Amino acid sequence: MKVQVPYLSRIEGHAHLVVDTKAGEVVECQLEVVETPRFFEKLLVGRHYSEVAGLASRICGVCSHSHTLVSLMATERAFGMEVSEQVTSLRRLLMYGEILQSHLLHLYFMAVPDYLGVNSLLAMAQSRRDLVARALRLKKLGSDICEVIGGRPVHPVTTCVGGFHRFPEASELQRLRRCLSKALPDLEQTVELVAGLDWPDFSHQAECLALHDSDGYPQFGETLISSAGLQVPNSCYREMIREYVVPHSTAKHARINDETYMVGPLARLRQGFHHLSPLAREVADLQGLSPSTNNPYLSQGARLVEVLHCVEQSMHLIDHLLLEGLKYEEPVVTCKAREGVATLEAPRGVLLHAYSYDKEGFLTSADCVIPTAQNLANLEMNLRARVPQIIDEEPDTFQSELEKLVRAYDPCLSCSTHLLTIDRL
Amino acid sequence: MSSRRLNLGGQYQLPSKNTYRGFPLMRTTQAPTSAAAESSTWRALSRVEIDLFVRSMMTAYEVVGVQKKHGRMTMDKVEDPSELLLEFPPQVHSPKKFLFPNWQKLFRFSLGGKVHLEADKAAVPRVIFGMHPCDLHAVQVLDDCLFEGEADSVYRSKREATLLIGVDCLPDEHCFCSSVGTDRTDSGFDLFFHRADEGYLVQSGSERGEALLRRHAPQVAKRDEEAPLPLQVKPCEHQLDFAVDALAPLLGDVYDHHLWKEIGERCLGCGACTLLCPTCYCFNVEDRMDDDLAGGERVRTWDSCQFDHFTRVAGGRDFRSDQADRQRHRFFRKYKYLWEKHERTACVGCGRCSRECLANIAPVNVLNRLFVEEASPELKALPANEYQPDMVEIIAVEDLTNQDKLFRLRLNTPIHFTPGMFVAISIFGLGEAPFTIASSSDDDMHVEIVVRAKGALTRALHRLQSGDSVGLRGPFGHGFQVEGFAGRDLLLVAGGLGLVTLRSLLLSLLANRQSFGTIQLLYGVRNMDHMLFQKELLEWHGSNQLDCRFAIKEPGNSWGVPTGDITHLFRNLDLQPQRTSVAVSGPAGMYRFINPLLLRMGVDEEALFLNLERHMKCGLGKCGKCRINDVCVCETGPIFPYSKVKHLKEAIER
Amino acid sequence: MKPRVGFFDFTGCEGCQLTILNLAEKLLDVLDLVEVVEFREVQGHCNEDLDIAFVEGSICRLDEEKRLRMIRTRSKKLITLGACADLAGINIAHEEAGGAELAMAVYGSDSKHLQGGQARPVSVIVPIDGRIPGCPVDGQEFLSILHALLLDRPTNLPAFSLCVECKLAELPCTFEQGIVCLGPVVRAGCNALCIEGGDRCRGCRGLVDNPRESSYHRVLETFNRSVDDILEEYRTYNLRIDEE
Repeated sequence: MKVQVPYLSRIEGHAHLVVDTKAGEVVECQLEVVETPRFFEKLLVGRHYSEVAGLASRICGVCSHSHTLVSLMATERAFGMEVSEQVTSLRRLLMYGEILQSHLLHLYFMAVPDYLGVNSLLAMAQSRRDLVARALRLKKLGSDICEVIGGRPVHPVTTCVGGFHRFPEASELQRLRRCLSKALPDLEQTVELVAGLDWPDFSHQAECLALHDSDGYPQFGETLISSAGLQVPNSCYREMIREYVVPHSTAKHARINDETYMVGPLARLRQGFHHLSPLAREVADLQGLSPSTNNPYLSQGARLVEVLHCVEQSMHLIDHLLLEGLKYEEPVVTCKAREGVATLEAPRGVLLHAYSYDKEGFLTSADCVIPTAQNLANLEMNLRARVPQIIDEEPDTFQSELEKLVRAYDPCLSCSTHLLTIDRL
Repeated sequence: MSSRRLNLGGQYQLPSKNTYRGFPLMRTTQAPTSAAAESSTWRALSRVEIDLFVRSMMTAYEVVGVQKKHGRMTMDKVEDPSELLLEFPPQVHSPKKFLFPNWQKLFRFSLGGKVHLEADKAAVPRVIFGMHPCDLHAVQVLDDCLFEGEADSVYRSKREATLLIGVDCLPDEHCFCSSVGTDRTDSGFDLFFHRADEGYLVQSGSERGEALLRRHAPQVAKRDEEAPLPLQVKPCEHQLDFAVDALAPLLGDVYDHHLWKEIGERCLGCGACTLLCPTCYCFNVEDRMDDDLAGGERVRTWDSCQFDHFTRVAGGRDFRSDQADRQRHRFFRKYKYLWEKHERTACVGCGRCSRECLANIAPVNVLNRLFVEEASPELKALPANEYQPDMVEIIAVEDLTNQDKLFRLRLNTPIHFTPGMFVAISIFGLGEAPFTIASSSDDDMHVEIVVRAKGALTRALHRLQSGDSVGLRGPFGHGFQVEGFAGRDLLLVAGGLGLVTLRSLLLSLLANRQSFGTIQLLYGVRNMDHMLFQKELLEWHGSNQLDCRFAIKEPGNSWGVPTGDITHLFRNLDLQPQRTSVAVSGPAGMYRFINPLLLRMGVDEEALFLNLERHMKCGLGKCGKCRINDVCVCETGPIFPYSKVKHLKEAIER
Repeated sequence: MKPRVGFFDFTGCEGCQLTILNLAEKLLDVLDLVEVVEFREVQGHCNEDLDIAFVEGSICRLDEEKRLRMIRTRSKKLITLGACADLAGINIAHEEAGGAELAMAVYGSDSKHLQGGQARPVSVIVPIDGRIPGCPVDGQEFLSILHALLLDRPTNLPAFSLCVECKLAELPCTFEQGIVCLGPVVRAGCNALCIEGGDRCRGCRGLVDNPRESSYHRVLETFNRSVDDILEEYRTYNLRIDEE
């Protein structure tokens, strides 16, 4: 039996799914990534540091803030700059906004339709207007945070090396704070909906990778920690992560010690479980999630937990910012001819940019390690393990179960295809 | 103006045309007096009281004013009165946005079936706290344009519901309000807050303003009145080089001037100049649909004569596609078309257009250049300009006699004159007097005058030295047409100071000596002490260029010349009357003897020229002092052919 | 029957589709007006005829070109969505390095399947009926273009430069800080969002119909910038202009 799903929809970017089985055995199982490569790492070369983050942002519309921030941080590391606590707080808030935006888009528009048995949530605009309206409202919650802090929901404009061109007004933060508290009933209903979904029973032991964030739940940090106990500073990422090209994909695959591994919400939840906000912890418990959960389908549950975590943390962070009072800071930049590596937790997992600059501040080399690329090999391993369990199902169900698994990783292929690391043979 | 159909229900009166038409023009230094100024009251208050006043107004109005936001100053709704700025620079954008907003709903409609029209709700009652004087003037320009003919009711509703509170301004290098007379105002506002030594003085400008004060600052309203402050003239360095009322006629002459093309090539077409202008109101009207497409709004948005498409018609033809034409249109509209219609420039000199023009197109520079290059003839028509002397430097002073000095003056710009013409010399505080030019018409950068110390002005002149400056106007009058003497013999007859005029003629003749036949100079004076240019006379006498003869009335002179009056010199005169032109210059009485002599000798009436100087005060044919019967000396004289003046009783006969 | 609308993406970041999803409640109004039959990011696909196709992304490879032609064939109107589709934008940048060579340098010897191909704007391949510029598009502008299409009105874009919106928003001129800005020659419609955010204009909406190039170059000279400096700026979004 051969199942082919050309132009897999409800994912970010373009991919085909090809599964070929013979007598219950998997002969072929590939996620063919067909997105056109855009060679971003190359086109960043030669650009002035003030341009780099704006271009890096265009790697991906869904996680443009992650790319922007990690790019700025890599440049700051290269130049040996420290940013103020205020700037870090605002950047963290911006990340919460993006994670909310991305997770809620995914849960409602990409994941939930699979479980409700519909092609698209948009098709339910008439029959379940309340549901669609709620989905759009919640998604806007995230994009509003991004707009206030970053100046725009997609591709920020206020951010710059050293901090921000423009700081939000106190009144704007107060408005966000009100929106966040007003969203609680919507969130309650979301918990009811998502936690009530029937996740397939499947487990697959895999190594998980996340950042160590000294402030708590993984978000920003400079140390990579794997569930197998490996700890490496991000500047030594090459010693840990090996990327390689596979013939069926324009996105690279990656392994740690020759093993596939997972990044993203579930990896973060396992590592940062004890740092979850009270509401998030409650929702984790409700779904039976724990630091040892290894069902990749439950990444969706972890996403829901992170939504609650981000909402609660955003409210605390806004209160903190308002209490401290926002002060305008003029970023001061001194160029240095050095390398800088930065990491952060993007919605889909660990995102890393490594840059080198010349002394005039023009970029000489760039390397970007993107979450989806790190997950692809593991996803294929999951698919291979899953196929024998459902081989006897009707073809439609068989396909749908596999699509659910792909979507559990929320692959973002528009970024993953822009991987342009120099091949290290 | 009867076309101004504005009915404000008696509650609020716009200042009448007569009242505000009189706002001060350039170079008017005295404070204008008007009904508003006389009836306004002045009261002192503190900044804290202003905050309380604003807070109280906020309960009844939307109060807008200038505040700092994101590091820049903008005029917006006030939330916290203490953040309201009363002293702010002129670059804050115009309050036009509240009276004539960029996005103005005209009415709502619905689609599908019946078209349903729904009028806009009543305008928000609003107080604009922070109108600079130029912006108050700008509102009057908008009133002119939008109330004219069929009044624009959308603007009117906003205008009626809005109170204007003025504050003063310190101009920057782009402001030129003082050139267009908008640097101050005593009307057009409801209240005006002036900075005073300690705190502020609030001036009322309307009954509505008084009422506002009574209701929202009752303590202040009850306070005793203070003395009004005089209107302050703004220190604008950026100025028009001419009076504002010359603009419309100036532009009338420069439609095809090359400067427009030059500006058009610089202009980016961004329209910033018109968008920022507090009086530009051109607009576009379009339908904006609701999100559900069930209905929509017809809205008015700002448009600009600088944009592509502004004058485009169906079919694609653009009536003003060239940026040079668009810029010219902008200038003509501001300074000519609307001036001619409303007797007010539509530019209030706020400088917003030039302040933010990336191409550095600044109206003052453009207009001054047009003026210099094109319109200098208009200069004489400008008030006071023709009476205003040019300051010139004295470069040499020479004693001619005990009472006469020769002054050599260096001019700033070349002048053209003929011998016999005169200049008016000023010493400020003592006045101005005419002096005949004594030097050759060949040198157009210098003039020489002879000054006899007789009165205060001439005595003061005698005290001046080389390096000092005097005021000079002119040249004026009508002199000898030297070219007309070519090929003829010349007889010059001078009496006393009359030699001054003939020296100019003689020097001009000698500069071109070969063009003329014989030249004879007859000069009569009372005594040696009155004899001018003695050194030159001796030189001429010794030269073979001319024949010089002198007569001295009083006996015993050191030169050994015959004693007697000038008529003695005619006895042995060798004269060929048909080919001789005669110039006579001297005291009035002299002509009564000389003229008959010459005519008897056969000199033609047309060839006999008389210098008939009178008191030529203005030099412009206006003051009337130099009139001989109906002839104005400074216009047609002082050099006349005998034939033209012989019938004038006042000329010679007396 | 409601007009049938599809959203398609080619090479790009999908930020424009995301911006449309960000319309939130307004998207519900859109869903009342039209039937969204394809929207790959959030919906499965079909092969039905369409009234309006919105196309995001640049066209880089032959398979993309074929797919685009198919979409054109079955759509009454085709509108480009965003800078990649409009100008080929950022995607064109790698051309300078040469696609195949670049892939070799980046992915190594196993790179035959990684050919980038030349990034081209949609209008180079098929005729278009309108465009929504920007990186990403402006949600409100998307709505008004959609409304115009539904009402059969012309889908005109602002003909004036960004400076207009900068002035309306009362923002200080970027040139005042000595920073070169493309605002004077770039099409308005974004409400000067980047300037508001403290950045400069990098030209994502493309040039105005009638850019005053020589005037603009003169301004650059007064700020001590050469035409070369500005061509570098044009490169980001592939703004083609006479290089005189």
